[in-house]
Amino acid sequence: MSFANVSTHYISEKVSQVRWLPEELQQSERFVTGSWDMDQNFVRLWRLQSNQYATATDSDVDQIPRCMDKVRMEDDVTAMEFVDKDTLAVSCADGHLSVFNVHRAVEEDQMQRTSRSGRLHCFQRSQEPAPCTDLSTYGTDIATAGEDGCVSIVSVENVRQVKRQIEADSMALFSICYISQQELVTANRMGVIRVLDGRVATEAQPKATFMVASRDDKSNFVSSLAKHPMQQHILLCGSEEGSITVWDMRNLSYPASYLSAHKSPINEIGFHQKDPSKLFTAAEGGEVWMWSENKVLGSDYTKDGHSPWLSGDRVRSLVDVEGVLSNIRKSINSFDVHRSRLVCGGDTEAVYLVDNIV
Amino acid sequence: MSETGVFAFELGDELATRCGNTLTGVFVRGSRIALSAYRHVTHSSRDAPTETAGQDPVLIYMAQESTLFDEPVLRSVLAEANATFATLQQLGSRATRAEYVNISRAYRSIVRSCLEKLEQAKKSPEVQTDEARLQRLSDAIVVFYAAECLWHLFEILYIQNNQLVVPQLLDWARFHSPQAEDRATDLLLMGEEASESDDYWSIVRSLIMLGEIDITRALLSQNRKAGQTSFKAAEQILKSMPVYQEGYALQKFHSQWEFWHVDTERKIQSGLFATEPELEQLLRMVAGDNEQWDDGIKESQDFFEYLPGYLLFTKPTCKPFELKIAATHWLNRWCLLQPEKKQCAMNRMVSQLMDHDLKIFIYDSQKLNDTHWFSTHLIDLIHHCGQLKSYFDQNNIDLPALRHSMIYEYGSYLMTSHNMWQLGIDYLDCCKQEGQAAIELLLPERQATKLINLARQRGLISVEREICKVLSKRSYDNERYGNALEWAIRSKDVLLVTAVADFILKHYSKTGCMLCPDTIANVGGRMFASPRLVFLSKYFEFYEFYRNRDFLSASELLVNLLESKITPDYFWPSLLIDSMPLLESKDPKIFAKETVAILHHIETDLVPIIERNVSKYGKHHSETVFKDYRVENVDEILNLLRLACARNLARALIIENTMPVV
Repeated sequence: MSFANVSTHYISEKVSQVRWLPEELQQSERFVTGSWDMDQNFVRLWRLQSNQYATATDSDVDQIPRCMDKVRMEDDVTAMEFVDKDTLAVSCADGHLSVFNVHRAVEEDQMQRTSRSGRLHCFQRSQEPAPCTDLSTYGTDIATAGEDGCVSIVSVENVRQVKRQIEADSMALFSICYISQQELVTANRMGVIRVLDGRVATEAQPKATFMVASRDDKSNFVSSLAKHPMQQHILLCGSEEGSITVWDMRNLSYPASYLSAHKSPINEIGFHQKDPSKLFTAAEGGEVWMWSENKVLGSDYTKDGHSPWLSGDRVRSLVDVEGVLSNIRKSINSFDVHRSRLVCGGDTEAVYLVDNIV
Repeated sequence: MSETGVFAFELGDELATRCGNTLTGVFVRGSRIALSAYRHVTHSSRDAPTETAGQDPVLIYMAQESTLFDEPVLRSVLAEANATFATLQQLGSRATRAEYVNISRAYRSIVRSCLEKLEQAKKSPEVQTDEARLQRLSDAIVVFYAAECLWHLFEILYIQNNQLVVPQLLDWARFHSPQAEDRATDLLLMGEEASESDDYWSIVRSLIMLGEIDITRALLSQNRKAGQTSFKAAEQILKSMPVYQEGYALQKFHSQWEFWHVDTERKIQSGLFATEPELEQLLRMVAGDNEQWDDGIKESQDFFEYLPGYLLFTKPTCKPFELKIAATHWLNRWCLLQPEKKQCAMNRMVSQLMDHDLKIFIYDSQKLNDTHWFSTHLIDLIHHCGQLKSYFDQNNIDLPALRHSMIYEYGSYLMTSHNMWQLGIDYLDCCKQEGQAAIELLLPERQATKLINLARQRGLISVEREICKVLSKRSYDNERYGNALEWAIRSKDVLLVTAVADFILKHYSKTGCMLCPDTIANVGGRMFASPRLVFLSKYFEFYEFYRNRDFLSASELLVNLLESKITPDYFWPSLLIDSMPLLESKDPKIFAKETVAILHHIETDLVPIIERNVSKYGKHHSETVFKDYRVENVDEILNLLRLACARNLARALIIENTMPVV
């Protein structure tokens, strides 16, 4: 398969997160970006517009993003997720969570911050704010993980009221992911993954922990977590050494598969929401790869609801991998796929749009 | 573009004025100068504090070169150029000329797109209201406009290296004076009415001077009088003008061109155009009439504006080495006709390029107020494409060294300026050892994991360790011991790991509370970072067995720990006290042999330590290093321990030596 085209748009900001606006029936034309490590950090709303120079030059870039609106943030944007069609949850390195409302219009789209939580994460001793590192949503619940090792759960209707605060870990948490309405998994810098129950307090938390696999005994943090959109028991972890560990949540005694992939930390990992046979990974070394299930070989697996991701050593033969972007040389921090279009961004201060991806 | 000027600094604070407002400065990291008050001291000055010492505060001022790149729009120039720079490094010096031309064009397109963004930004309401920012953007436009113009000319003359330069020079001049073309478009849209507009003839003249023959013809054919013979003849002349194309025999072209030229002059002299004075002037210009061109020169802003057009009508096959002479002549004429105009830096640099005066050009290009963006990237390109190697050799310029130092400076500048370090790293990567050393010095401490990855890719193990150590210390100060332990393990610093593990063990023996159990439980194979950590992990295992009431495993592990010889001195009491309940439990858990071993450790390890301690601090000293949360004073427990051992030994001996009754 050949990718029709990749277009690069320099936006003068290091991109920490990028998300398409959800659209039900059509290809999304709008996306949001969050920046980090700048003098002023912004959440920006972009919209693709037709390239007025497309005819003048014989370039095949027919759409260019234009910034429609921006909201200044207090610190680095660390994670963003859409709660519903036009509500965006944004976590920030100052330990706060913000909720944005995006208003789609014919001409100028708008975006406002509707509410901001209290300080969700802080270091106990110094009382300094601890960066909020990741967030995950389920229904109207938003769970955030912080460098202080705590997990906070709030409801999008009222982010000022913390529904539950769990002291999950004594180490900085790097990633968090809902696996069911109540259950959460968190991963810390040592590569320890914990299963938490959102309904109970710290003391009553289940003691289920497991370690991410690694080539040697070096510390290997889990940089990103993703669950299969249809088969919710499949959990994928991208790690510091660039490998992917797959867990079957029904059997936590050993990892279901282990694949060495990138040569640098995997910054984001995620399935295509509508076509779960496709998985994407973005790495610190400036690569975005697409993993697709081999339809021919894997057909008898998918029939009985068995995913090739759980097939241990044979995963390699059941899944094809191809590079979507490579040789960017600087970190790709985040990507998002909507239908046939992928957007990603990173420390090159550019966003990359890839059309006709699937 | 900054003209030569020296900036003056003055402090004027109280301390400085006291000794005549003198100052001293030191260059510090990141192209900054630290300034402070200064008093001259010689060998004959008295070595004593001045009478005013301590009265005024000592103020240190930081002077920093202002930079254009604070402007968000301009950041994209840096980021994009960085990608092109890296592509060029990969190409190396063995690529084809076309590839270098592409790189050069990529750089120029970066500048052009940035100029466009700047123009757009200038129009936006938020900038219009901000006077300072508006000024900054205007400055940036001037600088980058100049950079593009010079780069374009450089590309034509030295990278493309075509034998014929006139067509490219025409393109270049047209791009940099677009006013005539814009106006011509308006006139073309007006149709026949255009000939009535006031500036019709002046626009047509400008177009001819820019060598835009096709547009001129279109405009003339729209004229109301286009049907007249004079206009038809003019059309004929312009249409029949021979244009040289690559691969055409030069001799043949020359004779054709001469014929056309003579024919045109003849037609003018025959008075064919006498009825239309403007048209006649125009055609005189086409024929290369000096009087007409002198008028043209007087209208031009920059000396190079109409030079390519002049060459088109007088010397269409001009070669690069002939350009040198033509440009000098033209410049002299321009200066003579416009004596009131001061030579601006832009004009000077253009003529340096045309004169093949690259040494001075490079020198001047470093004065552009773009923090050496232009000169660094251009020199790097020159170095790679290698066409000017002989020139630099002849002029005794060590090009690789020059490039190296430029890239080094530029990279260091980026590294030290806030949040551009990721860009800087690529430049310093090209600078071999010095670059490595600089990266090591300059890496900032933000976003540790990213840095660690960068450092690891470059094999900078010491940087990686340093970062981990700092973060470990920071977590420790924050009382986040799990975090501290993990960073310490990452740093692979045995002493640091030992220190953190020590703290956790001591804390346990003092309070009976195990810190960060979740971390210790998951240390796994990493425990071998330090013997102390091995002990901590193993002890934790024991602690878990004990808490889960798995006493048999617990006692086995305890005995192993006692035998392991890695027990830190301060932990002996706790470890031995731990054995008490196991020794005293109702059903025996420790065998006779092990009991003897425990007793042995009490006598050979614990007792000497206590004795040493007593001799050091005195009996019942509260500052004793041994503390256990379970006992007030450690030496009191000695007897209890001995008794427990004795009882268990007796019991174990009896059980072990009793034959089971069948």
